[in-house]
Amino acid sequence: MSTNPLIKIEDLHTFFYSKAKQAFIRAVDGISMEVPRGKTLGIVGESGSGKSITMMSVLGLISAGPGVIRGKVIYDNGRIKKNLLQGLDDFVDLQEHDGTIMQVDKDLYGWQQHSEQLMKNIRGNEISIIFQNPKAAFNPFTVIGEQIAEMVLLHTRINDPVAAKAKALYWLERVKMDAPEVRYYNYPGALSGGMAQRAMVAMALASEPALLIADEPTTGLDATIQAKVLQLLAEIKADLGITIMIISHDIGVISSLSDYVAVMYGGTVLEYGSAKDVLSTAYEKKHPYAKALLASIPGLENIEKNGARLKAIKGEVLDTIRVVEGCKFASRCDCMTDSVKHKCNTQQPPLEDIGGGHKIRCWLYQ
Amino acid sequence: MKVSAIKPITFVLVKEIGMTVLLLFGVSIIAFLIILASPGDPFAQLYGGLSGSEAERKALYESLGIPTTWYGQYFSWLGNVLQGDLGNSIRSGRPVLAEVVSAGINTLYLTLGALIVTLAVAAPIAIYTAIRDNTRLTISFNLFAYMISAIPVFWLGYLGIYLSTHLFGFFPLGLGSSDSGNIAKFLLPIFILGMGSGLISEVVRHMREQVSRVMNEEYIRTARAKGAAVWKHAFKEGFLIPVTEIMAIKMPFIIGGAIIIEQVFNWPGMGRMAWQAAQDRDFPVILGITLAAAILVRLSSLLHKIVFVSVNPRASHL
Repeated sequence: MSTNPLIKIEDLHTFFYSKAKQAFIRAVDGISMEVPRGKTLGIVGESGSGKSITMMSVLGLISAGPGVIRGKVIYDNGRIKKNLLQGLDDFVDLQEHDGTIMQVDKDLYGWQQHSEQLMKNIRGNEISIIFQNPKAAFNPFTVIGEQIAEMVLLHTRINDPVAAKAKALYWLERVKMDAPEVRYYNYPGALSGGMAQRAMVAMALASEPALLIADEPTTGLDATIQAKVLQLLAEIKADLGITIMIISHDIGVISSLSDYVAVMYGGTVLEYGSAKDVLSTAYEKKHPYAKALLASIPGLENIEKNGARLKAIKGEVLDTIRVVEGCKFASRCDCMTDSVKHKCNTQQPPLEDIGGGHKIRCWLYQ
Repeated sequence: MKVSAIKPITFVLVKEIGMTVLLLFGVSIIAFLIILASPGDPFAQLYGGLSGSEAERKALYESLGIPTTWYGQYFSWLGNVLQGDLGNSIRSGRPVLAEVVSAGINTLYLTLGALIVTLAVAAPIAIYTAIRDNTRLTISFNLFAYMISAIPVFWLGYLGIYLSTHLFGFFPLGLGSSDSGNIAKFLLPIFILGMGSGLISEVVRHMREQVSRVMNEEYIRTARAKGAAVWKHAFKEGFLIPVTEIMAIKMPFIIGGAIIIEQVFNWPGMGRMAWQAAQDRDFPVILGITLAAAILVRLSSLLHKIVFVSVNPRASHL
């Protein structure tokens, strides 16, 4: 078995065009990251940092233009190795000026057709997704059991509807759905949020994928249900040895599952490393944004440090329409020293390895 | 029996049929009053034409056993209708029910056929323009839909007759004519009504709206993420419901168009019959046709309700 990462994203750019502002929204602005086989990568960042768009870009699920305009997504499970964005740049005509993209002409339909072709046998089959808001993510016109069975029929060797139903029931049981026989015939509208998310997990696993992407899997659920869903994901990870990409704005969710963590801000990765290093306050070498994120979590440790007041990050999330000359976090950064200040405001720092695979995009560590 | 044990479909059926009965009652009263208010009397010839006096009229009515007050006439008619007797045509003397049913079936062929033509043209345009926005083809498709809908149906009908007689050498006649076996002649009126009823642009707009809305639903994204066929998931909400919806709403419109087309092509349907009956002041026939048209409209709405309830679990379950 090769030791290549299961999925490797290189220099991914996903833009949208805002008609109102006559400018590009730089939703994903040059992201590179990788997910090692059998491990879990957590992607954390504030809302609007481009986490979900990254995931949707990887799977070619963005339907609005311009969408994905550049980058590579290399999927390698040992048997199949391919770039999921291979040849798509033929449909995109970029006009650049001084390294920034000024204009994008894209044949959206041609792009989508080609993407569908590339994604054949990948989407659903190799990569499954759990969406946030599971009740809306299920087809409201079909019972959930049939939607799970559809996944079995599409992507496993089972061709017989009766066997597919049995398999769907097996997965419902596997995700600890109570009374799976009854739930099989429930429409999504009849399920609670927690049950629907369990069913969603069952559907995602029903194709026995190599990679599971969980996009904000616990957002919108009660705290107790959240804990149960996370516990379920942890069990699945342990039992099936599946590779997981989990996306959340909640550091608690990320820390409970992740082996590696990427911290995103303004469409870029500011820090990437093992969960233990990135998320522990004890580890000193940290991007100022990651540091600020950790300090903003309510919890005993932070109360002892900061008193009863929570420490919020000053300012607002970066307006991704603006082209930032320097570091994207510069306007909100507390750690800027005089020696790097000029650089921070004029030049974007590279994502540099500071040792042991821990990468930080900050001039303080260059 | 608990209320929840009644199937929603039964509930819909009972409610719709009840509504229909009330509606037919209302329609019959209004139609009756309109006929009464319009000038002319079918028996005028029997008592000295329009110059005949009120006393002569009353005497004649009494000798024929016809109630002299309007409500008397209405209720005697209604009483017969409830027993399944719509009376006899004053013009032909044949029972109205049989005449209306046979004409109604012909109209049904025409309207349903036209509906299929409309959908066959409009649905692909709607779906194509919903999925692909602003290509040269979508613009020309839209232009076509609007232009064809702006053409008056009678003009299109005469154009069709002109072309078929001059180019193909036959005069298109409707059903019931001696050579109705000739499929081309039979289909021309259906085709003309389907294209010209003005519905194409409306169906295109409604369906395009619905299809593009459904394509942006989260569950369609899930279907794509599953690698499943998107159309399978979008079919019910994006196609079935909008189609029956527009059909139910536009049924009166199509029947209106059918009246004109039946005139133009001499199609022996309800429209032509109504036209004839109005000119002859053939009251029983006018009333019978009015009721039949109302029933057709209600049937299409009932069909829509049944489809909606049976495909939509939010209406039929929970």
